[in-house]
Amino acid sequence: MFDVISQPTAFSHVSPLERENTPYPSFLKLMDVTKRFGGLPAVDTLSFSVRRGEILGIIGPNGAGKSTVVNLISGAQPLSSGSIYYQGRDISCLLANRRAYLGIARVFQITKPFMELDVRENVLVGALFGRHQMIYSAAFRMAEELLEEIGLAHKTHFKGDQLTIADRKRLELARALATGPQLLLLDEVMAGLTPAEVTEAVELIRKINRMGITIIVIEHVMQAIKSLSDRILVLHHGRKIAEGQPETVLSDPKVIETYLGKRYAQQQDQLKQVNTDMLNEGAQYQM
Amino acid sequence: MVTDLHQSAVASPTLEKTKERREWLRSLLIGLVILAAIATIPAYGDPSLLHTWTLIVMYIVLAQSWNFIGGYTGYAAFGNVAFFGIGSYSVGLLVLVGLPFWVGLIVGGIVAGIFALLIGLPVLRLRGHYFAIATLGTAEALREFIAVKDIGGGGGGLMSLPLPSLDAYPFLFYAFVGLSVVCLLITVVLVHSKFGYALIAIRENEQAAEALGIYTYWYKVGAFVLSAVPTALAGGLYAYWATGFDPGTVFDRGISIEMVLLTFLGGTGTILGPIIGGILFETASFQFQTSGLNLHNTLLGLSIVLVTIVLPQGLIRLFQEFTRRSTPGLTLANRFMEGLRRVRRYITANGI
Repeated sequence: MFDVISQPTAFSHVSPLERENTPYPSFLKLMDVTKRFGGLPAVDTLSFSVRRGEILGIIGPNGAGKSTVVNLISGAQPLSSGSIYYQGRDISCLLANRRAYLGIARVFQITKPFMELDVRENVLVGALFGRHQMIYSAAFRMAEELLEEIGLAHKTHFKGDQLTIADRKRLELARALATGPQLLLLDEVMAGLTPAEVTEAVELIRKINRMGITIIVIEHVMQAIKSLSDRILVLHHGRKIAEGQPETVLSDPKVIETYLGKRYAQQQDQLKQVNTDMLNEGAQYQM
Repeated sequence: MVTDLHQSAVASPTLEKTKERREWLRSLLIGLVILAAIATIPAYGDPSLLHTWTLIVMYIVLAQSWNFIGGYTGYAAFGNVAFFGIGSYSVGLLVLVGLPFWVGLIVGGIVAGIFALLIGLPVLRLRGHYFAIATLGTAEALREFIAVKDIGGGGGGLMSLPLPSLDAYPFLFYAFVGLSVVCLLITVVLVHSKFGYALIAIRENEQAAEALGIYTYWYKVGAFVLSAVPTALAGGLYAYWATGFDPGTVFDRGISIEMVLLTFLGGTGTILGPIIGGILFETASFQFQTSGLNLHNTLLGLSIVLVTIVLPQGLIRLFQEFTRRSTPGLTLANRFMEGLRRVRRYITANGI
């Protein structure tokens, strides 16, 4: 019943009886989660679980419901039906700020820095609230440390709107980390970055993961998500169509068909055909 | 030499910190100097001057307290005059009963605070235009209620108080100035407090603020109450000062609009904005009013249009843009020209 990777400490605050009754003792568990906008389901009876300490990648074509999943987990939007368990606790009905207090932080797809505040104050706000609800002096120190670590220390006095895209993403990340998260939701943090910056971002995310923070990554940059994720989940029309190791999932013909298009799948097939033909020809030639 | 380098390396962060600290300290000092200068007015012994400036300082207080909800939290409350009226009527009713004036003042502040809490609970679930309209409606409803129920007892809600003694006028003037100083201090403390950061985060992006763990709803209600109490105190002082008033004067939606305009003119969400905006606009407005032209309401309307088009960020921000540190090594004249250029760019960027 318990999966191997989850540490028992995850349930230290849950009574033994409750632990027995909790049907899914994973770090994060979504059960038949549905979100409808009007009549159209953006997320349709989706169930998956996240283990403590892993990096889960979520991919899918545009409109597959990836960002909605992040909104549902972080509490920005209410569920239509289903439930979400976080550390053995039903958080489906909690407000976003309450979930942040429990250690769920997110980075927005479209960056939302507090424009009137400078970089340091942005991070400071995260530390003042979030999981730790720090006092001012402690929050100030934490903000300084985080900015140092994330590589924004030389821009502490810049206002939110004076930053480049890459720095804004860094700032968002620092602000999310300042809340002291245990689960970090990254919604397309690498969109709009140069290849060099993507490499940096991948390193940074790995570093954050090594600090013991569980991460869910939504990404379009295939190379990045393939190298980052321990597992990948593929969404299409709000439904899960594949889940598992990156290599197996990405070579799944169904995934290739939905994610990269039918034509691409056919091309791949043809390519394979050509390759085998050439091999055969080569073999014939050698003979 | 080496030790020197070390020392400078150690000293630089503290220097930065003191520079940061100096920014709000400078605003505080400028604000106090301005208010101290205003406080010398009774010394001239001119009753009409005192009359005018009592009202100007009252408007400054109103703008300062509107700044908490409108400027820092970013919620355009268009019905804050309701708290002003509550303050006025609390003082009026309790003075008529025979209680001392200050009792009415305190009661008015408390009642307005509770009223803001009760109104804020449903209304602050709304955003943008809906919030503005709901607050406006609240104030209008309260005015009609007091008029129809004739709370003042003089017909249509009219209330007449016994005239205060002549030396009460300087006292009331100083009370307004004191209230303004208190609002200034609250603003300065707010800007660097946890509460203030929550409000600014809500203004900048409410969704992001929530994601960081800020219980935005209660912080908004808190800001609404914080802006209601000084408004009600000003209303109480006004009641004692004016002695006779009716719902039409103390629930005048023009007062609500003026609070907003003064803050916008000076700069919303700034420490000095309401003070600067209040002094500039109200002195001009009283000039137009007393010179017999009766154009002060025209001025009000025109100012709203001009401010929204040319100065949506206010005079303070414009000044900051002008004086912002530019490339080092420029001569004073060049720096001045650079500043002008920046101001022009700033205004054109706002839509002209």
